[in-house]
Amino acid sequence: MPIYSSEHRRLMQILHPSNHEEYSELLSSLGGFMEKKILPLSPKFDTEELSIANSRKELLGQGLCQIPFPSEYGGLGLPFSVYATAIELLGYADASTALSIEIHNAVSEGIFQFGNETQKKKYLPKLTSGQMLASFSLTEPTSGSDARTIGTTAKRTGDGYVINGSKMFITNAGDAETYLVFARTERGPSCFIVDAPNHGMTFGEPLKKMGMRGSRTCEVLFSDCQVPESNLVGEEGKGLDYAKGILHGARIVVAALNVGIAQTALEKAVAYSRQRKAFGQPISEFQLTREKFADMKTGISAGRLLYLYASRVKEMGHDCSSEASQAKVFATEMSLKVCDAAIQVYGGYGYTTEDIHRHWRDARLLTIGEGTSEVLRLLIARKELAGSA
Amino acid sequence: MKVAICVKQAIDETELKVGPNGTPLIAGAATKVSTFDKNAVEEALRLKSSGGGEAVIFTVGPADARKAMKEALAMGAERGVHIIADSERLDPMLVAQLLAKAIQKSGPYDVVLCSEGSSDTYCGQVPPMLAECLGQPYAGYARKIELAGASSKVERALEDRVEVVECPLPFVASVVSEINEPRYPTLIQIMQASKKPVEELSPQALGVSTEKSLVRVETMNAQSMNRKRVLIEGTPEEGASKLIEALAKEGVIPG
Repeated sequence: MPIYSSEHRRLMQILHPSNHEEYSELLSSLGGFMEKKILPLSPKFDTEELSIANSRKELLGQGLCQIPFPSEYGGLGLPFSVYATAIELLGYADASTALSIEIHNAVSEGIFQFGNETQKKKYLPKLTSGQMLASFSLTEPTSGSDARTIGTTAKRTGDGYVINGSKMFITNAGDAETYLVFARTERGPSCFIVDAPNHGMTFGEPLKKMGMRGSRTCEVLFSDCQVPESNLVGEEGKGLDYAKGILHGARIVVAALNVGIAQTALEKAVAYSRQRKAFGQPISEFQLTREKFADMKTGISAGRLLYLYASRVKEMGHDCSSEASQAKVFATEMSLKVCDAAIQVYGGYGYTTEDIHRHWRDARLLTIGEGTSEVLRLLIARKELAGSA
Repeated sequence: MKVAICVKQAIDETELKVGPNGTPLIAGAATKVSTFDKNAVEEALRLKSSGGGEAVIFTVGPADARKAMKEALAMGAERGVHIIADSERLDPMLVAQLLAKAIQKSGPYDVVLCSEGSSDTYCGQVPPMLAECLGQPYAGYARKIELAGASSKVERALEDRVEVVECPLPFVASVVSEINEPRYPTLIQIMQASKKPVEELSPQALGVSTEKSLVRVETMNAQSMNRKRVLIEGTPEEGASKLIEALAKEGVIPG
């Protein structure tokens, strides 16, 4: 079955009755590229911890970074649901690559939504074409979900700002040429574009992670890092509002990524169950194995529908914060369950085969990153309570 | 250098379903540009890139065969010629005649490239018939093509040997998949392919009657293949010995 399957086609037809053929054509071609160029190397990216910049930067130029942005900034002007589906396909082929690209595109989204025209014209064509890799720097060693407490500072000087502090768990750090950095000014958390290399910005060693090993993550240290005034995004003191705006879209995409991971795990488990025999028959014949497959498949379909629904809400210009959070909470937790069930189907081989437990290790990150399940549940509930008041 | 490339809209075999009586469910099946045709397009673009010129895609098929044409155009060909006909009812000879007339009308071309066979029915008859209709030499199963002035050197991948032939231009060749690795068009190239010019022609306009098909497909059945699914366990050394033993037993390798 191709990565872009008949199920995807049907959903695209339902979502976009007038343009579905064109969108399916694009996604099918992308799926073919991923199947040939990314999927076979995915185990190697994990075991050798190869970052996107070291092994597959040409993927950035394939069009994945252009999809949701207008053509005047080098984009393709396609719906967000097409972009999210593309990330699902990439999540299937290699989760680490999908994570790196999702972060890269989140930076483009930030500059597009909140940057001024000069910044958009300067950065977006290079980011959408993949000439530059980007990194999103919000989290700090002691400030994650409580982003209001960020301690990194940006002090005004004569012609710009000087940033001091540190950022933690930063995807693409060290490889990227453009950083969207959140730092506190006198008016509160603010957002800056920092170009690399910069004398005042250094990087820690890549962190040793449980999963997502093909995506580089490290600490970013700022020591008198000078940034011109023209690189302030939007207004001082509004950085957290911008971060939230960026993260709503990113959460939809993370949900899509997890659906891709779960789909891979399911397909591997199904294939294995057909060839593995126990008690004289393939284990796919046992009802308890079949129950697992039914639940895995249902979860995947539900996760897909949730992220596509949230995408459409975003496309239509509505507030998608709750829908995006629902999609992320559900899809990330579903993906973990599916990967866990796949390991169970594989039995002892599941625990010892990197190419199976890799999916669980990859999925494990995303109930934490880009908004923990706990924080997002609070957001969903808060919206619900506000709506019923 | 002007290169004509013949492509076919084929059934996407990766999504083809088979009915309960073993008949492939062709009606409504997903389609795509025939897999190996992409090798022909890639080779045309390579030949063209060395000396400039034009790569033109030709296809015979119903209106929706335009999708296959578009895939080929997205790879980098300049324009297309679409002969609109119900290809389901055409035998290879009629397809070859239609292609030959269209190529003559739009040409002349230095090289005409096809693939060794389509990825759905894999008849492989159109390329040699096309060469005959055009009155040009034919080099089938090409795995390497080198042009030198008005001549070419073609390596043909045959079952048990590689044959090297010299062919004067113009000529027709069918290529095998090992000749190159087709490029993947970027998303923007796919979107821009819709804007490339495609000339539409009818069989009547080409003076070809499509009424008399010499070949008629009576039935089509899926071939059932039972896999043995032998799982070999043990250390790599033990596994290798057992694998050699199993392959020899099946007659795959000498015992």
